[in-house]
Amino acid sequence: MSSSSSATVRRILREAGIGLALLAMIVFFAAAAPDFSTHENISNILTQITINLILATGMTFAILIGGIDLSVGAVMALCAVVAGRLLTLDGMSEPLAVALGVAGSLAVGMGCGAANGWISSFWGIPSFIVTLGMLNIARGGALQVTNARTIYDFPDSFNAFGTATVLGVPVMFVIALVLLGLGWLVLTRTVFGRMIYAIGNNEEAVRLSGHRPLLTKVLAFTVTGLFVGIAAIVYMARLTIANPILGVGFELNAIAAVIIGGTSLSGGRGSLIGTLLGAAIIGVLANGLILMGVSDFIRQIVTGVVIILAVVLDSYRARLARG
Amino acid sequence: MTQVNEPILRLSGVSKRFPGVLAVDGISLDVAPGEMLALAGENGAGKSSLIRLLAGIHRPDSGEMRLAGQIYAPQTPLDAIRAGVRVVHQEFNLLPALSVAENLLFEHLPRRRLGPIGGIVDRREMDRRAEALLARVGLDEVGPRTPVERLGIAQKQLVEIARALSGDLSSGGRVLVLDEPTATLTPREAGRLFEQIRLLKASGMTMLYVSHHLAEIFALCDRVAVLRNGALVDTMRTADTEPAALVGSMIGRTLATQAPIGGGTPGAPALSVRGLRPRGSPEDGALDFAVREGEIVGLAGLVGAGRTEAVRAIFGADPAIAGTIERDGKPVRIRSPRDAVDAGICLLTENRKEEGLVLPMAARVNTTLARLKLVSRFGWLRPAAERAETRRLAKDLATKITGPEQPVIELSGGNQQKIVLAKWLMGDKARVLMLDEPTRGIDVGAKAEIYALLGQLAQEGRAILVVSSELPELTHLCDRILVLSRGVLAGEVARPDFSEERILSLAYSRYTQAHWQTH
Repeated sequence: MSSSSSATVRRILREAGIGLALLAMIVFFAAAAPDFSTHENISNILTQITINLILATGMTFAILIGGIDLSVGAVMALCAVVAGRLLTLDGMSEPLAVALGVAGSLAVGMGCGAANGWISSFWGIPSFIVTLGMLNIARGGALQVTNARTIYDFPDSFNAFGTATVLGVPVMFVIALVLLGLGWLVLTRTVFGRMIYAIGNNEEAVRLSGHRPLLTKVLAFTVTGLFVGIAAIVYMARLTIANPILGVGFELNAIAAVIIGGTSLSGGRGSLIGTLLGAAIIGVLANGLILMGVSDFIRQIVTGVVIILAVVLDSYRARLARG
Repeated sequence: MTQVNEPILRLSGVSKRFPGVLAVDGISLDVAPGEMLALAGENGAGKSSLIRLLAGIHRPDSGEMRLAGQIYAPQTPLDAIRAGVRVVHQEFNLLPALSVAENLLFEHLPRRRLGPIGGIVDRREMDRRAEALLARVGLDEVGPRTPVERLGIAQKQLVEIARALSGDLSSGGRVLVLDEPTATLTPREAGRLFEQIRLLKASGMTMLYVSHHLAEIFALCDRVAVLRNGALVDTMRTADTEPAALVGSMIGRTLATQAPIGGGTPGAPALSVRGLRPRGSPEDGALDFAVREGEIVGLAGLVGAGRTEAVRAIFGADPAIAGTIERDGKPVRIRSPRDAVDAGICLLTENRKEEGLVLPMAARVNTTLARLKLVSRFGWLRPAAERAETRRLAKDLATKITGPEQPVIELSGGNQQKIVLAKWLMGDKARVLMLDEPTRGIDVGAKAEIYALLGQLAQEGRAILVVSSELPELTHLCDRILVLSRGVLAGEVARPDFSEERILSLAYSRYTQAHWQTH
């Protein structure tokens, strides 16, 4: 079929470019840092990028529809402390406590996401501002719920999940990958996903085609919140604690992964494959630099340079495409 | 006024070509100092293009302009302002959050030196100058520190004029161009504006005045220059002519001789509009009309007559002040485009790139955008069905696409418009098609194809309502034409009575009467 057009080719090339950058990075670290390619370290990297990958998957929905969610780190803390309280309730069987905790975390995440989406869409306020407010509300809420104390003593089966592996791969990472795959299916194969891309590109045209963009926008932010709730559970299982100050700055890492992955901040363009590669680049970079003995400060500088470089390259490519 | 003195503005053979159209065609024109000259002509006659040349927004391709004997060739709007040619455009160019004084003196804020630091704004001096300017346009009631956003429309218009006058404090404003200054004003506000214009004229200001309101032209201007298709066809002294003669001069051409398209045998009313008052419509502007199955009805009128507002209100794109819509004789409640689409009404908007299409996305995505239910099951898309529908509609409408995946941004205007049509025709749910300027920016060949297509759609029993600024397009396409004038349905012309003169005199009917009061 001759219908594979230039835009599809361009999109694939963009993702291939990011993949090549990741590959080059891996080859470089494998040569420069002897411990980089050991089984333990690779498993380590996968564990380290899991949380960011889950958050970035959700963030992709918000950014594709033309918004952003700055509250994910703080909402994750709120999800975690609510789940922590439910997990440690007295006089409950272990499975029930775990089920309650997971449900509580997802409900809090989706609730905050829906609130973000509804307030920003219905009132026409930039989601940047609404989610900045939500960031403070959720952080304050988390501190209030716990009285600033850390929650621990979760059921053993819950904590065990944090370190479980399957065929040597952390279970958490497998779950993150499956979620990303589901997200990809939703974005590329469903009416909901189609509406997200269309609204991100031209909301007015969508409205004048007989749709109500409001519902889709609220749902997109709710999906972002759902992924925050999932990330909170994974985080708790790994660290076996929940405290109200966890997740500070996580939103910026998630946004960085999405942007490095080639998704446009103005919405409507990008993919979850890119987000996966973006999260991997951040993770590999951090791990490789540590193994090379580069200081934490320098590592931050390098990450910042990579973010800017990714966006500059993308703009440059767009300019070339325009001629 | 006899041309004894040297003209302050002289145009010699000025032309400007835009892709596909000669917008200004060899215009030669003299304007005497202190004269007030009207520019008249239909939509697209070249008035706005000529003003843009004077304002330095565009540069002429050929010809020469002279200002007070000197060559006048502004490269930018700033050059024009420095030379003393000030244009008050239709759109307000004021900064709403800033004060009146800041807006008036934006280009040259009075500054005070404070030790080594230059550039502290001298607010007292600014207020003084602003008050002087406001007094010149009779805006004494407005304080110089009032934010512009708090002003009414007429006050804003006067501030715009005051701002245009601010240049003459330093550079000697010599020619003032007013482009449709009363388009958004109430009669009372317009009356006030005219008083100030008369005072300016008495003070010796040279003015060019563009307006659809013939009565204004006759009341204010010394001479009128008539443009048609970019060329100057006539200049006449207002004292020696009358509105009917002016309209005749503006139309000039004969009816297009193409074979009429027209619809099929008209059936029952598919769309009935009762007492509809779109946003911004005048109090006596309630619209009542019907479009029957198989009929192509045109909606004619000047720019700003309320045609787009009417179809957008019917479609639910903008809320209406009042009115009911009936489909097949049954009232339907339309509060959003979704309600309209559910009722089988669709609208092809006037800006296809901004409102009709998701430009970067594939032809497939755009074709199925309004009918996703037909190519999905339980919320899951069926890509094969999408591609098949896209190919089928592209074939039916003879849309040139390389395939369903081609982004519509790569298509020509005509093919883009066919994709928008395909979006509405998919699934055969649209029984009432409203098209707002369907052939704007489309080449002649594609135009003819779209006309033929509309004829065929009407033959199949759909009701079609076409808004167009091109009269030949409407007389070619339609069975009858409704004419709006200043938001009011001024009349209806059936095909046997089609004449551009008839339609235009209806279109101008609300503009030729004196509609303002002086107080």
